[in-house]
Amino acid sequence: MSQPVVGERKPRALNQRVLLLGFLVVAPLVAVLLLNLGRDPHVIDSPLVGRAAPEFTLQPLDGGEPVTLASLRGRPLVLNFWATWCVPCFQEHPLLVSAARALGDRARFIGVIYEDSEEQVQGFLARQGSAYPSLLDPGSRTAIAFGIFGVPETYFIDAEGRIAAKHVGPLDAASLEAKLRQAGLSP
Amino acid sequence: MTAALGRNLVLLALLASTVGAVVGSATAARGSAVGWAWTRRLAYLFAAAMVAANGLMVWALLARDFSVSYVAQVGSLSVPNWVAVVSLWSSLEGSILFWGLVIGGYVGVATWANRDRHPEYMPWAVAVWLACGAFFAFLLAGPAQPFQTVSPVPADGPGPNPLLQNHLLMAIHPPFLYLGFVGMTIPFGLASAALLTGRLGHDFLRPLRTWLMLPWTFLTVAIVLGGWWAYEVLGWGGYWAWDPVENASFLPWLTATAALHSALLSERKGVLKGWTVTLVLATFLLTILGTFMTRSGVFNSVHSFTQSAIGPTIFVFLVLALAWSIALLALRIDRLAAEGTVEPALGRDSLFLVNNLLFVLFTFTVLLGTVFPLLVEALRGVQMSVGRPYFDRMAVPLGIALLLLMGVGPALPWGRATPQQVRQALVPPLMGAALVTAVAAALGVRRPWTLLALAFGGYTLQVTLRELWLPLARRRARGESLGRALVESGFLRGRRRFGSYVVHAGAAVVIVAIAVSSTMGTSREAQLKVGEKTQVGAYTLTFLAVDEVSEPHREAVVARVGVSRGGRELGVLSPRMNQYERQREPIGTPAVRSSLFEDLYLSVMNIDSASGSLGLLAMVNPMVGWIWAATALMALGSLVSLVPSRADTRP
Repeated sequence: MSQPVVGERKPRALNQRVLLLGFLVVAPLVAVLLLNLGRDPHVIDSPLVGRAAPEFTLQPLDGGEPVTLASLRGRPLVLNFWATWCVPCFQEHPLLVSAARALGDRARFIGVIYEDSEEQVQGFLARQGSAYPSLLDPGSRTAIAFGIFGVPETYFIDAEGRIAAKHVGPLDAASLEAKLRQAGLSP
Repeated sequence: MTAALGRNLVLLALLASTVGAVVGSATAARGSAVGWAWTRRLAYLFAAAMVAANGLMVWALLARDFSVSYVAQVGSLSVPNWVAVVSLWSSLEGSILFWGLVIGGYVGVATWANRDRHPEYMPWAVAVWLACGAFFAFLLAGPAQPFQTVSPVPADGPGPNPLLQNHLLMAIHPPFLYLGFVGMTIPFGLASAALLTGRLGHDFLRPLRTWLMLPWTFLTVAIVLGGWWAYEVLGWGGYWAWDPVENASFLPWLTATAALHSALLSERKGVLKGWTVTLVLATFLLTILGTFMTRSGVFNSVHSFTQSAIGPTIFVFLVLALAWSIALLALRIDRLAAEGTVEPALGRDSLFLVNNLLFVLFTFTVLLGTVFPLLVEALRGVQMSVGRPYFDRMAVPLGIALLLLMGVGPALPWGRATPQQVRQALVPPLMGAALVTAVAAALGVRRPWTLLALAFGGYTLQVTLRELWLPLARRRARGESLGRALVESGFLRGRRRFGSYVVHAGAAVVIVAIAVSSTMGTSREAQLKVGEKTQVGAYTLTFLAVDEVSEPHREAVVARVGVSRGGRELGVLSPRMNQYERQREPIGTPAVRSSLFEDLYLSVMNIDSASGSLGLLAMVNPMVGWIWAATALMALGSLVSLVPSRADTRP
């Protein structure tokens, strides 16, 4: 930036003052933005992590006995909140199914359906395959208790029923494995 | 099928813009007529491809073609058609596609308008525009693909963000914002061309100013529409919150306004050319910074889109654009030598410099307040906000100083004014200041800052009205009929000048209305049962009933509130809570009753139809409506001065 009043001056090949001033203004700005790049302010650490998971009793989609959190203790639990209308849920579904099949008895997987109709979910699971129960959450009471902002969100609960980790957005294989470890999955 | 066609159109746009940018630069460096013709053709091809890709997406949204990934993301069978169309810019990928449409439109029109003018500058300008266009085409082809094929095809989609479905203003505000933001690419290209050629002649300052003023007009309207939308939808009774995304739109507006003024001085006196060009470049850079702020997920805001790979890509573009601008300025600014000087004395010229100084100070103030929380967070890991107190403390004196300057500047003659001229120019408008202050004091205004704003507003309005009247009076004195004098001075010969003063009048009213509405309102929160009354200002509010309303895409609980003043019934207002499908949090819609001087604003805080209880926020907001009306006046004035005059249309 030149000073506003430009008088007689001999043209130079490079105006070093402009270069320096521009750099001084721009460099700190770029540095600050760079430091913050990749950070998501919407991700707030859940206050629930490290505490006992909220208790629930929910009806499975395909009928049968209600499922309680207490009945799921003893093994690491992956609690996945999802819906058929959510595109990222659609993306992570195959990973969850194959992980549930591969891990067998070493971990439990449970889906909690968020704001969706039974028919939609049944159709979806029939087409895309399923390997673990999905629970109905009327009125989103359980979702509210867990503080769900949107779907998909996944909680990792250890054998004692404590929340060990949380994942926002579609899961990838690496985070699934790492967070299951945090919930006590033996290698 | 649709998705594949869309992808190909995006690739065509990418190809046309990349080749066009290369051909354009080569042409500019060598100067060949054939190269220039090809540059133009590629610019038109780029524009056509972007228009076609957007048309295709709108068609897919209307047809609910869920095989297109963007439609699967934001489309829904349950939303009305206008919402389906608006969905084009409701989410990340679509908003970039829409950006493509706007940049395509601008580049096409600006190239065509200058096809046989300014041959020494235009190939450079078109090359820079197409380089920017290529970046957005690249975003659409890579990190932000809206045309991915979804398989299997979902039966239905979630619909767009309900906040966007909640009010018709959401269909108008974003297009204006894009027209303002994206349009700054055009003056950026022209300014770059001036630097690259090392010339900024009188003939080229005119198109620079015109093409800056056009997006400036859109941006002005967009900023105020955004405020209006917040006021009509968000329910907290205000219109501006210094939210990072609001600031993102305000920052380029500040530098563009400064540039419009310094360009005028460059045009008249041949000075400040390098400075004008710097402001134009800064305006464009701030629009890209703003885009980064809304698209990267770095800033937390109600407006922003979620995080994605688009953020880093825009960051790279921002850094490249910054480096380009600084390098260009450092290498060429000395060639844009001044042809005159600014008299270092009190006069209109020197006040232009003060104007620019204040606008730049304002820009840095807002920029600092916006970015500072990021710095703290990066260094200390705590989330913080400098918030309203900082911005208000800084913006109020700056805004009021600019208001006064808008009166003092035009009152003074050009060049060096004698002390007697200064007295003659500056003393009479004190009448206007005294008049407005007296009326306001009589109406009960006591806060010193508000009174000061009103006094300066009166001063500036008197000067502005006088400047609007003066050419008319001169023509009348020469014996022209009133009608002819009015048409000649307002719409024919003095159009640019006339339009500018209309903009000033509007801006003065906006600043005064902001000062009054933000300091003179009253509000009341009340918990009411059906049949109970409460009082806010001079209004008596009676909670009459609760209704449940079912609409295709939402359910609503509506409070019926009877309004009366001084025993006279004024009707029923219906603030409501809307519940959208697949959204847990309900979204309120306040009800506003506007009269000439104030708004009665009712907003539901909580409502229970079973027990018939209502938590009501009631406010009386004076002069808010004046902001919207005065902005329309600003836009009108700006349009008047934009219409090409006879001198412009001569080849």
